[in-house]
Amino acid sequence: MKHLLPLLLFLPLSGCLDDDDLLEPLRESPVTVAFRAEYDEAPLAIQREAYAYPTGDSLKVLLFQYYVSDLELLPAGGGEAVRLADIDLIRWMSATEDATVERTYSVPAGSYRGLRFGLGVKPELNAIDPSEFAANYVLNENEFWGEQTRYVFAKIEANALLEADGRYDTGLSYHMGSDSLYTTVTFDRTFTVDGSGVPTLTVVADVLEALSGTGQTFDITDPQKQTVHGGNQAVATGIWNRLAGQFTLETE
Amino acid sequence: MNFAERIPMTRPAFLLGLFLLFLAIGCREEPGGSTVVDEGTITGPNTPTPYALEVPDYFPAPVVDPENPLSEEGIELGRHLFYDASIFSTEGNMSCATCHQQELAFTDGFGRAIGVRGEPGPRSAMSLVNLAFNPNGFNWDGGEGKLWEQAIHPVENMLELDNDWQEVIRKLREHGDYPARFRAAFGIDKVEEIDPELTVKALAQFERTIISADSKFDRVVYKNTDFFTELEQLGADSLFFVENVPPGTLHPGCGHCHNAPQFGDNKFHNNGITDVETINDFVDKGRGDITGNPFDNGKFRTPTLRNIALTAPYMHDGRFETLEEVIDDYAAGGHGVENEDPNITGFSLTEREKAALLAFLHTLTDEALLTDPRLSDPK
Repeated sequence: MKHLLPLLLFLPLSGCLDDDDLLEPLRESPVTVAFRAEYDEAPLAIQREAYAYPTGDSLKVLLFQYYVSDLELLPAGGGEAVRLADIDLIRWMSATEDATVERTYSVPAGSYRGLRFGLGVKPELNAIDPSEFAANYVLNENEFWGEQTRYVFAKIEANALLEADGRYDTGLSYHMGSDSLYTTVTFDRTFTVDGSGVPTLTVVADVLEALSGTGQTFDITDPQKQTVHGGNQAVATGIWNRLAGQFTLETE
Repeated sequence: MNFAERIPMTRPAFLLGLFLLFLAIGCREEPGGSTVVDEGTITGPNTPTPYALEVPDYFPAPVVDPENPLSEEGIELGRHLFYDASIFSTEGNMSCATCHQQELAFTDGFGRAIGVRGEPGPRSAMSLVNLAFNPNGFNWDGGEGKLWEQAIHPVENMLELDNDWQEVIRKLREHGDYPARFRAAFGIDKVEEIDPELTVKALAQFERTIISADSKFDRVVYKNTDFFTELEQLGADSLFFVENVPPGTLHPGCGHCHNAPQFGDNKFHNNGITDVETINDFVDKGRGDITGNPFDNGKFRTPTLRNIALTAPYMHDGRFETLEEVIDDYAAGGHGVENEDPNITGFSLTEREKAALLAFLHTLTDEALLTDPRLSDPK
C-alpha cells in the first residue's frame, strides 16, 4: 500500500518521452471524407431543380443513394490500408439537404497515396440479413429486397417530364445491386495527414453521368426502362457501370 | 497512520452519521409524539429492474433510447397510465387506450381520431405496434423525435385529451398508488419529482413492449409452422414484394415502402392519394409543416401494414374505408404531383390478383397481440 502512491506518480511521468519521433507512428489526425452529388457537374438539388436530359426531356431527382464498403486510405509506403468504415450509406433525399455530406475520421498521421472503397455492399455483409442488425443500422430492411436478391446497392429515383404538359408525372426508379455488381473504386492521389489542418477528400458522383455518359444514354422514355428492381438487373447494368466508373476525387 | 489509510476506516462512520442526520431532518414530531415520514416522501422499493424486450430472431434489434431505459416497473407503470382515464381526462372518460384499443391493433376504428369533446382531430390514430423499431420520428409527420416526447402533446391538445399537465401531475401526486409506482420505476423519493417527463417516459416504456410478430406471415415465412393458401402465395410473391418484378411491369410493388418484417419504412412519402395542382395546395401539409420545406408537403410517414385488416379506415385521414379502396386508388397511379413517390406507377389487377393481394394482407394479422394479457388493461 505504501508503495502505491509513488508508483502512481511515476506512471504518468514514464509516459512522457523526449524524442517525439518515437511517437510519430502512433499519432492520429483528423481527415474529412466528403461525398458530393452532382447533376451535369452542378451540385445536385433534390426536387428543387428541373434538369435537362439528353433525350430532350427533363427530370427532377428525388433520391440518390449508394452504399460504400471498406472505405480505406492507402499509405504511401505500402502496408495495410487504413480502414475508415466497413459500410456506409450515402444518401440525398431532401430538398433541404446540402449536395455535400461529410464524415470525419481519425487516422495515423503520414503520407498517403490514395483512397479506395467498394461501391455497394461487400459480399460478406450482403450475406447477412437485416435482422442481424439494429433497426437503425445502415443495413436494414428498407434497403433489402429479399432472401435471394439481398441489399439494394444504389438507388436513383426521379420524376420526369416526358410530355408537353408541364407535369413531372413519369416515375423513374432504378434500384441496383447484387454481388456480381460490387465494384471497387480506387483513386491514386497523394496527400499528407500531419495534424496541421484537416485534409478533405471529396468523392464526387454525377447522376447524369450515371444515366447518360461514355457515349450512352439510358432511354428514360421507354416504359420498359422506367423501373428496375430486384431480379431484373440486366436493364440497369449500364447505369451501374457508368455510376461505378464516373466517380472523381478532389483533395484540398 | 497516514491519511490515505485512515479514510477507509472513517468513511462508514461518517456516512452513517450523515445518514442519521438526514433521517432526523426528514422526520418531524407529530403532536402525539410519534415520528412520521415527511409529507411528500415516497416509501417502498426504489430500484428499477432492467427489462430486455422479447424480440424474435427474425426482427432487427430495437432502437435503444439511452434516455429512457426499460424496467419492469416502468413498463407496468406505463401500462396503468395508458389505460387510466381518471388521470388523463378531466371527466374521467378518456385515456390513451380510447384511441389505441388493443383489439384493433391499438387503433380506434375511426377515420380521424375523436377527442374528449367528441370532435375529430385532423388525422387518424396510428397503430402502436412495433414502435421500438422506428428510428425515424413519430406521428404521421415525424414531428416528435422520441417516443416519449410524442406523448406530451395529446394531453393538452384541444382535439385530443384537452387537459393540462398541471392537473394531470396533481392527480398523480395525490394518488394512493401512483407515487409508489413512480418510485419503483424511477427511484424518486418525493412526490414533487413526479413530472410530465417521467409520466410520458413510463408510457413510452409500455408502448415499446407492444410488439406484433406472430401473424400467419411470421408463422409461414419465419417459423415454418404454417403455410400460405395458393391465393395468399400469389399475393406475396407476385404482387406485394418487389424482388423479382419483370422489366417494365406495372406492379403494386407494396414492398418498396412496406418490406418485411416491419412492413413500413417509417420514411415520408407523398403516396399519390391527393390530387392537388401544386405542392403548395395540400390542405394537410404533413411532413412539410414540420420541415418548412414545400417539397415535403403532402408527405406522411409510411405506417406498418401489420394488422392492416384491423386498422380501417386507412391513410392519415381515414379517407378509405376498406383495403379494396386502397388498392383501387394505388392502381390508379397517383395524380402526377411532382413530389409523388416515383414508385407510385399505377397498375392493373385481375379480380383474382386483387383477391390474392387482399388475402396476403390478411396474413399480417397477429391474433395473439389482440388478447395478450401483458398489454391489456391491468384493472
